[in-house]
Amino acid sequence: MHSSTSSSDLRAEPAATRPGFVRQTASDRPGVAQPVPERDIPDRPWGRIWFGALALALLLTAGWEWHWRAFGVTPSYRNSNGQWAQQRRRIDAGEGDALVFIGSSRTLFDMQLPVWKRVTGEQPIQLSLEGTSALPALEDLAADPAFHGRVMVGVTSSLFFSGFAYRGDAIRDWRKESPSARIGTWLSMHFVEPYVAFYDPDYALETVLARQPWPVRPGTHPHMSVRKLSLSGEDRNTYLWPKVAEDVPYRDLARRIWAQSWQLPPPPMLDTPAKVRAVADAQIARAVAAVKQLRAHGARVVFVRQPVAGPYLAFEDRVEPPALTWQVLLQRTGAPGISFADHAELQGFEPPEWSHLSRPDAERYTARLAPMVERAFAGEPSVQALAAQP
Amino acid sequence: MVFNSLAFVAFFAIVLAFMAMPFAWTTRKIILLVASYLFYMAWNPPFVILLWISTVVDWYAAQKLVHAEREVVRRAWMLLSVVANLGMLSYFKYGHFLLQNFSELVSVYGVHYVPPTWDIVLPVGISFYTFATLSYTLDVYLRRALPARRFLDYALFVTFFPHLVAGPIMRPTELVPQFEIERRATRRQLQFGLVLVLLGLFQKVVLADTFLSKAAEAVFDTGQPTGALDAWIGTLAFSGQIFCDFAGYSTIAIGVAMCLGFAMPDNFRFPYAAVGFSDFWRRWHITLSSWLRDYLYIPLGGNRHGPARTYLALMGTMLLGGLWHGASWTFVVWGGLHGIYLSVERFLRGRFGGFRPGPLALFALGLLTWMLVNVTWVFFRARTFGKAWDVLAGMVGANGDAAPILSSMLVATTLLIVTGIVAAHWWMRRRTLESALLQVPAVPLAMGMGLMTFLVIIAQGEGSAFIYFQF
Repeated sequence: MHSSTSSSDLRAEPAATRPGFVRQTASDRPGVAQPVPERDIPDRPWGRIWFGALALALLLTAGWEWHWRAFGVTPSYRNSNGQWAQQRRRIDAGEGDALVFIGSSRTLFDMQLPVWKRVTGEQPIQLSLEGTSALPALEDLAADPAFHGRVMVGVTSSLFFSGFAYRGDAIRDWRKESPSARIGTWLSMHFVEPYVAFYDPDYALETVLARQPWPVRPGTHPHMSVRKLSLSGEDRNTYLWPKVAEDVPYRDLARRIWAQSWQLPPPPMLDTPAKVRAVADAQIARAVAAVKQLRAHGARVVFVRQPVAGPYLAFEDRVEPPALTWQVLLQRTGAPGISFADHAELQGFEPPEWSHLSRPDAERYTARLAPMVERAFAGEPSVQALAAQP
Repeated sequence: MVFNSLAFVAFFAIVLAFMAMPFAWTTRKIILLVASYLFYMAWNPPFVILLWISTVVDWYAAQKLVHAEREVVRRAWMLLSVVANLGMLSYFKYGHFLLQNFSELVSVYGVHYVPPTWDIVLPVGISFYTFATLSYTLDVYLRRALPARRFLDYALFVTFFPHLVAGPIMRPTELVPQFEIERRATRRQLQFGLVLVLLGLFQKVVLADTFLSKAAEAVFDTGQPTGALDAWIGTLAFSGQIFCDFAGYSTIAIGVAMCLGFAMPDNFRFPYAAVGFSDFWRRWHITLSSWLRDYLYIPLGGNRHGPARTYLALMGTMLLGGLWHGASWTFVVWGGLHGIYLSVERFLRGRFGGFRPGPLALFALGLLTWMLVNVTWVFFRARTFGKAWDVLAGMVGANGDAAPILSSMLVATTLLIVTGIVAAHWWMRRRTLESALLQVPAVPLAMGMGLMTFLVIIAQGEGSAFIYFQF
């Protein structure tokens, strides 16, 4: 049977069709040219139906938005991989000599970019990622010859020396970010995020459903995920959500969530002190290699331990004692380090949920830390001095 | 760009606006072609070159073979098209797999060969558009169709963005004639096309991504042994997820095409109500199964050369169909299992040709079909044979002391949704969506669509890729 792609002489294949279905498809017409598909449209008042549907959707969405605003949520930029990539691209777009912050949520929340700019006159690039060791970002910068600026590396002991990287995919994603992903981020940041409070992973349907009081299945150990803790600006300037500092039940919930970390048994890779040391040594070796590579293209590095308090501090000091981790890191990399515990001017800050400073405290802390970091960079060995070393 | 993304919403709105303008039909087709290339380039711009190669090679091959008088020349042009298309597919999709297997094979004979690192990205949709363009030259070669008259219509057939990256796999005779005649979407086409888009988005964003994917990931992506309940729930969750993901994609594609005034064929026909495996393959990924039947099974001899050759053709087709889904032996086993199912069914039909099941037996056979299909999904989803055997062992209760994995919420929501899907498929078994919608009063229809829109919005999908994009 000789059909054609042309509509004028297309022939039907009645003998080949099989009965049994309301609408025939290629599966009912073996071994022949398939005809133009037919699609019927049900005879319904679709215009009015769509009007009613959109009105209902609008009403429900407005109710959802009102519910979360009543809970204290305000519109904020989404801390997405796309937003991180936007900041990361600044280095390749002419800001190769910039000051870059990398680290985990403590460096993300406690460093206030406008304050830093006021104190030093410089606008840093914020590349910290919550729940993530600074090492993947440090290695990424080390591998980029376009970067010859300065890096302030936030060291959260429990993350840095265990190599945990909850948001490690952000670094992988930016390298292969597609044009459509970039467009999507741009559209979201201009038309959705500044206006919609519920557009936050903490209020996604899946997350909200998962934290309902479902019966516990025997043998399982429900784990509370970290709740919303911060608000972000377009440039990733981020600060602790005021609700965490001001709403006592919410703050206590945040503390209970942190407490899970030191109440649960450690993962198999970290279940003996020897394994913990071995993993920490491996992370320090990564840092040494990255710092060496960074210095080779003229970049300078300063490590910073941000404030932490209460049981969280006790947990970190117990699992990753500074004498065996932080001090070894500084010694082996030869880079300057600033720990909140060693400086009187960095004392007196009380993180409401033990791990992050409130916004006013973060502003005061940034103002005090900025000159110290600048002095530390000034004292960093120059490329020439290092080159002269054997 | 994926359909469930803000970028696609903006892109589609712009395309609709251009297509509504009073330009000449040829101008609007050029706009549609350029838009389709931009749609493809939004993933990885350089890969558009592969699309152009495939388009141009098949256009010329078809032109040449239709004018060739000698059979050997016709065959040569057909083979050029097949080699060019399958060569690209093999290089990008199966190159590393072939080298790895070669390395393992020669190591049996004591030869130590380490294949070079294969750092090549799979161009999105290559399996789909190579099959679409191949069907063009093969239809012309098999004298089922004449070549397209205009290159623009043919290029648009290959590139038309609704079907480009994940099907439905279109045949030239289904789409080229639609480009030959001027068309403009009617208001009703636009309205109902958007209904299909919403339905597809609900399946993908809410059912597949929000509810079902988590249970499947928790079971299949863990190294710990799987108990009976977890193995079954994880498998059922994947069974529902892959249907909602892929049928959702196809529904959106059909809806998007309808909004532009074009018709695309059904790709799914409520497959979890299939009774038997030949029925399943007339309901699941119809455009692929019919492609494999027309261009592989029938040329291999089909059922024309006796039972032995028929079973061989059946197994060969299903094994290659499995491999089409991915460069892994787990996919081959998945296809092989379906080949065995189809062969056994064929044998039984020969022996018990007069058997006519009553309603209860029909339902029981349907359930048996569905359960056996679920077993095949284990190989489709598991990344290794070790994991597949672990889940299968769990399903038959052989991992008695395994610790529970899934929360009560994941168990409850998976059971609820998968039961709903299977029940809906049985209710729709001999209906179309359109005929069913005719029965629903306007007010509940509006309320259902409003609720679906709301759930899609609050699910906050972040443009996660459809499962079939990786194939």
